[in-house]
Order: sequence, then C-alpha cells, then structure tokens
Amino acid sequence: MDTFTQLTLNGLTEGSTYALIALGYTLVYGVLKLLNFAHGDVFMVGSFIGYGILKVLGGAGDPQVPVWLLLTLMVLGGMVGCAVLGVAIERFAYRPLRDAPRIAPLISALGVSFFLANSFQLMFGAQQYNYGIFFLDGGSLYTEGFNIGNVHIPLIAIITILSAFALMVALWLLVTRTRTGKAMRATSFDREAAAMMGIDIDRVIVFTFIIGSALAGAGGVMFALRVPTAASIGFVIGLKGFTAAVIGGIGSIPGAMAGGLILGFAEAYIAGYWTTRWSDLVIFSVLILFMLFRPSGLLGQAGIKKV
Amino acid sequence: MRKTKSFPLFAAAVAATALAATVSATPAAAKSTRATAGISCSKTLDIGMLAPLTGAAGFLGQEQLSWAKYAVKTLPATMGLKVKLVPGDLPVEKGQADAQAVAQKFISDKNMVAVVGGSTSGSVVSTSTALTQAGLVQVSPSATRTTLTKGDNQQATNAFFRVVPADDYQGSTDAKYMTDVLKVKNVVIFDFQEPYSLGLGGEVERDLKAAGVTTSHQSVANTVTDFSSFVTKVPSDADIVFFPTQSPGSAEAFAEQLVQQGKKAKVFGGDGSNGLGEFKAPGSYISSFAPSITGFAADKAVIAGWQKDNKGKPVGSFGPAAYGAVQVILAAVKAACDKGKGSIAKRSLVIGQMRKVHIDKGWILGGKFAWSTTNTRDPSVTKFYILQIQGNGSYKLMN
Repeated sequence: MDTFTQLTLNGLTEGSTYALIALGYTLVYGVLKLLNFAHGDVFMVGSFIGYGILKVLGGAGDPQVPVWLLLTLMVLGGMVGCAVLGVAIERFAYRPLRDAPRIAPLISALGVSFFLANSFQLMFGAQQYNYGIFFLDGGSLYTEGFNIGNVHIPLIAIITILSAFALMVALWLLVTRTRTGKAMRATSFDREAAAMMGIDIDRVIVFTFIIGSALAGAGGVMFALRVPTAASIGFVIGLKGFTAAVIGGIGSIPGAMAGGLILGFAEAYIAGYWTTRWSDLVIFSVLILFMLFRPSGLLGQAGIKKV
Repeated sequence: MRKTKSFPLFAAAVAATALAATVSATPAAAKSTRATAGISCSKTLDIGMLAPLTGAAGFLGQEQLSWAKYAVKTLPATMGLKVKLVPGDLPVEKGQADAQAVAQKFISDKNMVAVVGGSTSGSVVSTSTALTQAGLVQVSPSATRTTLTKGDNQQATNAFFRVVPADDYQGSTDAKYMTDVLKVKNVVIFDFQEPYSLGLGGEVERDLKAAGVTTSHQSVANTVTDFSSFVTKVPSDADIVFFPTQSPGSAEAFAEQLVQQGKKAKVFGGDGSNGLGEFKAPGSYISSFAPSITGFAADKAVIAGWQKDNKGKPVGSFGPAAYGAVQVILAAVKAACDKGKGSIAKRSLVIGQMRKVHIDKGWILGGKFAWSTTNTRDPSVTKFYILQIQGNGSYKLMN
C-alpha cells in the first residue's frame, strides 16, 4: 500500500507538470491549429529564469528573502519571462507564416525549438543546473510535510501539486468566465467567423501565447524545484507534454489536464510495478496507439469536415 | 565556319602550353612532396583534442580542455618544442559519423602529431582505426572501458593509450569497498542504458554477487531527470544505490529523491559522477581514477598557474588527467624528434616512442608514470580512489 501511495504521489507530481505543458500545446493548437514544438523549450527557459532569480536573491544556501517570497518570485519571474518569450516567438516565427501551408509554421516551430536549446547551451553550457532546494531553509521543503501511512509527503511535492492545480483552475475560469476566454473559444471554433463578429484575432492569438507560455514558465520552475535542469531538457519533456495533450484530446483544456495526469500516473505505475527499462517505450507506444485509433483523444471532439 | 577551322589550332596551343607548364612544374612538385614527407620539429606541431566540449558531458570536456591548454602553454617550451592544441568537439550525444568527421579533420592536418582523447570510450571506438591508419597516436585522459585495451575483442587499436586505469579496476575497487568497508547486504544497481553505465554497473554487480550481496537492477534511458518512481522501487533495507552516470547532476537528483522518500540508501557513483559542486549530497560516494591533486605539494605551482588562467574554477579530477595525457604525448614527440634529429619522418613514429615513455619527475597525478608491463597500453598504477561527500559538499578521500 505504501508503494502505491508513493507512486501515486510521484504520478501526481510529474503529471501536474505534464498537464501545464500540455495546456500550452492545447491552447495554441486550439486557436491556431499549430503544434508549437518550441513549447518544451519555453518550459526550459522558464526553469533557467527561476534559477537566475534564485541566484540573484542569494541562492538556496543563503536566500535574502523569506522562502515563500523567494518561491513566489521565481514562479512569477518564470511566468513573465516566458510570456514575453512566447509573444516574441509568435510575432517573429509564426505570424509571418500564418497564411502559409500548415507544414511551414510546423517547421518554424522545430527551428525555434533548436534555436532556443542551442542558444541556451551556448550561453550557459551543457551542464545541469540544480536549484539546490535540498539545501534551502535547512532542507525544510523536503523534511516538512505530512505522512500517509509510512509515506512522507514533503512540502515541495505539496507546493508543486497545489500550485499546478491552482493555475489550471485559474485558466479554466479565464477561458469559461471572461470575455477574453469567450473570444479565445470563438476563435478556436471558427477563426473567420470570430473575426467577422469583431473579435481582434491577432490580439486573441497573442493572449493565447502569453497564457500558454506563462504556464510553461511556471511548470519549468516547479519542475526544476525538484530535479536539475539543463538546456537540453526541453525536447523530451515537450514531447511528453505533447503526448499528454494528444491523450487528453488536443485542443481540449480539460483533456490536457486529464492527459497530463494520466501520463504522470502511467509513468509512475509502469516504472514502479512493471519495468523501469521500457517506461519511455511504453509511453510513446501509447502516443502512437492514440494517433492511430483515437486521434481526437479521450476528451477531444472529432472534427466534421464539409465535403 | 571560321570557328571550326580555328579550333584545332587553339586546342594545340592549349595542349602545348599545358605540356610546357607540366614539364617545368615537375621538379617543384616533387620537391614539395619531399618537404611534406617529414615534420620539422622546429615548426609548430599540432596536437588534437577529441572531447565532448558541448552536450551533456560538456562540463567534462571543458575541464579537460582547460588543463590541456595549460599544459600546451607551459610544457613544450621546456622541451624545445612549439605546440598548438586543436580542439575537436564530439558531444556524447553524437554518433559515428560525427566522430569520423572530427578524426578526419585531425588526419588531414599535416602538422598533427598526436591526439589527446577521446575522452569517452565510445569516441575512442569510433575513431581509433581511422587515426591509427593515419599514424596518429591517441592518449585518453578518461576513457576507462576495459575492452579498449583488454580481452579477445579489443575495441581500440595498438595506437590507443590511456593514462587512467580501466573499469575492471574501478568496478572491483568499488565492490570491494562496499563489501569490506561499508559491509553492505543489499545493493541496487541503477544503469543509464549507455555503454559506460552498463559496463561499470555490470562489473560491480558481478563482484557483489560473488561476495554474496543481494543485488537488484534497474535501468532507465539517460534522458530521464526525474527519478522519483525509480527511487520508490529501491528497497527500504538497501544500503547503496550504485549509479554509474556521466552526469553528476543526475546523481545529485537521485540522492535528493532518496532522502525525500525516506530511503536510507546512499548513492555510490562512478568516476563519471565526480563533479564538485554538482554532486554534493552528504554521505554519497564516488570513485575516481585520479586523486585530488590539490594534496600534492609538487603540483602547487601547476595548480596556481592553471587557476590564474581559470579564475574561480575548482580543481576537478578530469582535468589534471588531460594535463597528464599532454605530458605523455610531449615526451613521445620529443623522443621521436630527437631520434629523427630534428624532424619526424612520419607521424606513426610517435606511436613507437609512446611505449617507451616514463615520467619520473613532475607527473601531475603523483609519483611516477610508466606503462603497464602487461602490454595493455594502460598505466602501471591501477588504483581507483573512493571519495565520500561531506556536509559542506567537499570530497574526502576514504581509501
């Protein structure tokens, strides 16, 4: 039972990160019908921004501000920085190709992905960067928390999971309860019709990139609170976020949340109960199976085309 | 019509001119060939360096490059040589084709006399044959795969040498330390599904099993950075997780997640996880093919000089071995130059001199340097060092 509890905690922690990435994929796909393969690298940039803020504020060993403020500033900094980056990517890499064949922005997205990964590697080297949260506040984020049975639920896991869910709920409210959210949904449903109704499509698209990238930035910081980051992490983690989005149904916000969590749980249970050797193979096999047999995902809607 | 008539005359003129040019040029061409047949030792000689300067193991390559640069800056003048270091980047993520491209760059350099590296065993396997065919000797500061120099199916040629001992010594040293000193009963082997990790993990597992220790084995792709689910599988009574990785940050993450999940096991990394400031979880262990040279009084001037060029950087274990590889290469090149009376008739002559190299004074890794007497192109010193990470992140020598 303890093993199950621990694996569930692992799955929830990893899954909430995947969900934040998947939401970015799904938001952009929903509005632009573009697979933004640079999204994983925006996530990576977020983790580096968090690292920079941590260092500026004294590092984990000697923070100059209270821990709660430090973590908040890191997450907010990652979100703002990545939002700006997202806008720049949309403006310079995607907007000029908006009316081009769909393969063009896709290739542009891959180019942006490599550009970000390689430029960060040039600037900061290839080594891993560890926030050193293990040493923050005497290790309290690891040692404090509560127990379920014999399983310790550390503060760091609680913070990660709750923050991710808070962001998901905020996004849900934004999309369903605000005028901007309504404009996003309208654009996603039929861009031309939305434009004819007076919706500023450019503004909606930019806003979508701001939100998606900010979520990736927050996810990047929360990810790097637990494990080291490096310039090369974006591609694989982006692929997993994409897998989560496909499983949930790309274009569907609840689907992205569910897909992320399902992927997190699947990884944890496969590694814990079956094999560590083949866990990635199993995960990406699931992606292929979904693409083949249920391309609309669990909660996505199959498109109906006029013929 | 006029064009047709004049063409034979034009062609004849061109042919005659070409013939005259060829005849008059022949002696000069032959002279040029004779000039490049030997390499003059009074000119600047090139030494290549094959290392992962970027990519996941970039930290290792950069550290080695800094020490090799320092060696090339300071040592040749004492031997009457002029040497230039030519770096060749081969990230660990790249394959055979990229390795061949870097090797070809070295081969086509007419002033190249030797190569430092490859830093990783995989890069040695990929380049050894091509470099040997071109007469270039290779001296690695960190490729420790046993089969590069030993066994029936050796993966490197006779032109490959290394200044650090092989993994069979590392594996047995690590296993012996676990059984004899740590008195382990239960050990988890965790490999990263790449040759270094699989090889060293296998060596340790074999020795531990032979000693009656309970072992279990986990394996995961080296792209994974979150180990929480794997840590969950570590038995609560496990004493050690042996994790041979070339990424100190991964070893650190694993150690932190063991603590997070309340496991008592400590991480024991191989030489690849030796990274001051990156792998710093207290109580963890690493093995190292080289001692910390900061304890050697004879190396103080070298360390001070290197630190002047590399301000703020710590003295690790990978770099000094690269300095040592340059020391060994320069000794062989100097011997070849002396034998050739100021020139090296062909660069493969350096390979012949390499077997005879021994350094009695100023060997950076302490004591003296000589090749093994067992004809394996390995160093005679086969000791691996066990270090434990202290509360302040420093490494303490344990054996």
